[in-house]
Amino acid sequence: MRKRLLTGLFSLFVPALVFAGEYNLTVDRVTIDTGDFIKEGIGYNGKSPGPVLRFKEGENVKINVTNNLDEMTSIHWHGLILPFQQDGVPGISFPGIKAGETFTYEFSVVQAGTYWFHSHSGFQEPDGAFGSIIIEPKGREPFRYDREYVIQLTDKHPHTGDRIMRNLKMMPDYYNREQQTVGEFFSDAKTNGLMNTLKDRMAWGDMRMMKADVEDVQGFTGMINGKGPEQNWTGLFEPGERIRLRFINSSAMTYFDVRIPGLNMTVVQADGNNVQPVNVDEFRIGVAETYDVIVRPRDAQAYTIFAESMGRSGYARATLAPKEGMEAAVPTMRKPARLTMADMGGMHGMDHGDMDHGSMNHGAMDEMDHSGMSGMDHGSMAAMDHSTHGSMGADKEKPDDPFYAKGSGIMPEAANGGKFLSYADLKAQKPLYEEREPTREIELRLTGNMERYTWSINGVKYADADPIRLQYGERVRFKFVNETMMTHPMHLHGMWSILDVGAGQWNPVKHTVSVQPGTTVFMETEVDAPGQWAFHCHLSYHAAAGMFRKVVVEGAPQASQVSAELVTNEGGGA
Amino acid sequence: MTLTKSMVLASAVALSPAVLAGGTHGHGHGSSIGEPGVASEASRTITVELYDNYYEPEQIEVSAGETVRFVLENKGNLVHEFNIGTPSMHEAHQEEMMMMVEHGVIQGGKLNHHMMEMDMGNGHSMKHDDPNSVLIEPGKSGEIVWTFSNESNIEFACNVPGHYQAGMYGDVTFK
Repeated sequence: MRKRLLTGLFSLFVPALVFAGEYNLTVDRVTIDTGDFIKEGIGYNGKSPGPVLRFKEGENVKINVTNNLDEMTSIHWHGLILPFQQDGVPGISFPGIKAGETFTYEFSVVQAGTYWFHSHSGFQEPDGAFGSIIIEPKGREPFRYDREYVIQLTDKHPHTGDRIMRNLKMMPDYYNREQQTVGEFFSDAKTNGLMNTLKDRMAWGDMRMMKADVEDVQGFTGMINGKGPEQNWTGLFEPGERIRLRFINSSAMTYFDVRIPGLNMTVVQADGNNVQPVNVDEFRIGVAETYDVIVRPRDAQAYTIFAESMGRSGYARATLAPKEGMEAAVPTMRKPARLTMADMGGMHGMDHGDMDHGSMNHGAMDEMDHSGMSGMDHGSMAAMDHSTHGSMGADKEKPDDPFYAKGSGIMPEAANGGKFLSYADLKAQKPLYEEREPTREIELRLTGNMERYTWSINGVKYADADPIRLQYGERVRFKFVNETMMTHPMHLHGMWSILDVGAGQWNPVKHTVSVQPGTTVFMETEVDAPGQWAFHCHLSYHAAAGMFRKVVVEGAPQASQVSAELVTNEGGGA
Repeated sequence: MTLTKSMVLASAVALSPAVLAGGTHGHGHGSSIGEPGVASEASRTITVELYDNYYEPEQIEVSAGETVRFVLENKGNLVHEFNIGTPSMHEAHQEEMMMMVEHGVIQGGKLNHHMMEMDMGNGHSMKHDDPNSVLIEPGKSGEIVWTFSNESNIEFACNVPGHYQAGMYGDVTFK
């Protein structure tokens, strides 16, 4: 009913208000220089990363994509709400773009914020095929700034995506440089006792995992806007100005912990959606996520934007400065993170041998259930506040991030001891949907076998799986249970992911939801987009290995489908 | 933000240089930011609308010594503050406001009045009752009557955590 009304209104106003833009992108072989190495890659309009596309909310865009490669390509508009035929996933939205051909995307821009685009074909995205999207809102934004920069992160690897995948399939720890050494064994034995150390190592061996599996593809150079740490991308400012930094993590595999020593950051947007502003010292950006922050450097000095990978195997670095060529100290990376038994909390059903009697594993699971999601689920914000903070004036003990397993080895901590952003801090600035009870729950266990480098959902890889069928108009509650030891950034195309942070109607709306090892995370989706969509882990090699599903939205009223197409076509003609 | 009644009295002397004198931190005027006024002496009424997270208007012009009646209408979905002070006063107040959020006094779109009255120990409560400031829930209005002095480094600001940093402040300029 509401839908029809809206559609009616839309078609009434569209002809009068249409703003139409035409954009051209070429998909090209390019050279990428990280400062550490030079490699062949793929880019747009001759460069990687490709251009910043600037759209306006309400605009009908027409984007001509010319494939200059000798293979198929595609572009997915990450986070954009659009008709499924425009979503750019070969085999789900459309057949793909053949070598030498031009495909024209046409859709209405119905949102605002920071997004990005990338190839959804093979490993073109890790090879460099991505760019950024900025959508200017119709009205004024709930924050102000004097200038803005896109900060697009990536983890550039000297090997091609194809080669990395082959190596991982052959030897899953091929790129794991952080493996524990014999020396580490003896020092652990000295601290923890020989038997405990032996048991610990054997338990990890049983799980086909290593403590150092925080990152399974190491050996990359972190880059910001196409520049390696030595090349030092620099954004200029006048002291006292407010700067909006639009962080986008376009990495194939790498989570980054981002800070700007000397500056507080105020997070105002997550995944393109406004959030109630949060002041932080540091934040972790998952693969495919975006965060917009506002900083206000008051002094005429340089500041380093430092983004070290979650596993501390590499970093990206850039500079904010009043003048080109100025630079600030570059911090050294903190010690590599090691997963703990708590991160295995979700790995039930495995034969742990001696570990079955150990308290850690079960303890971690139980505690997770209470301290983590189920508590938040039912608890009000007030209840959370009471449980996590001492009385007024008492020393604040830093509460654990409820989105990590208790005792997790990758629990984030701010380098300066200050505030590290948690998902629990994200509250929608203005709820996008009315709150209502979900119509049903779908459990998705994130599963994998590290020994064979297979990644899957509910133990079934994409090639063997039936699509997830959703009914138009329902509100589905997805329950992600991470039974692996890695963090998975789950990305549902075409419809919003309302992340349950326990804030009810203020729960934030995202396009990519990170699920940490040993945790359960809930998100809800208003099924309001007919057609078929991709739903997958955004770690490139996990998606390719099978942690991927097709989602089919059935039962859409014919009218809404037709009118959606009409709007698109009108846009094309305008 | 404070303090029970008795504490307000007790601390008024101690606080007044900090609260009412903008010049304590270096910029040297040593003058006060002004004082609460009486509505009947107001030369005019200025209506400021509070949105998420900005004011309309974002700039107001006054004369030194002028008494202005501010009518403040919260048209947003979140709790907002209207606070007259210097930038350094706002910064100090933000820490107090952070505490109010952590203790659930400010919950997104709601003010927990019960919590504000609650005894926090040591004679503290979380009332928000400084004369230069008012907290307003969505859909509600508030009022401040203020007599400006000749201190000119003044902003009106919302010190709900993150709001000032996001840009929810406006300049007071002097004729």
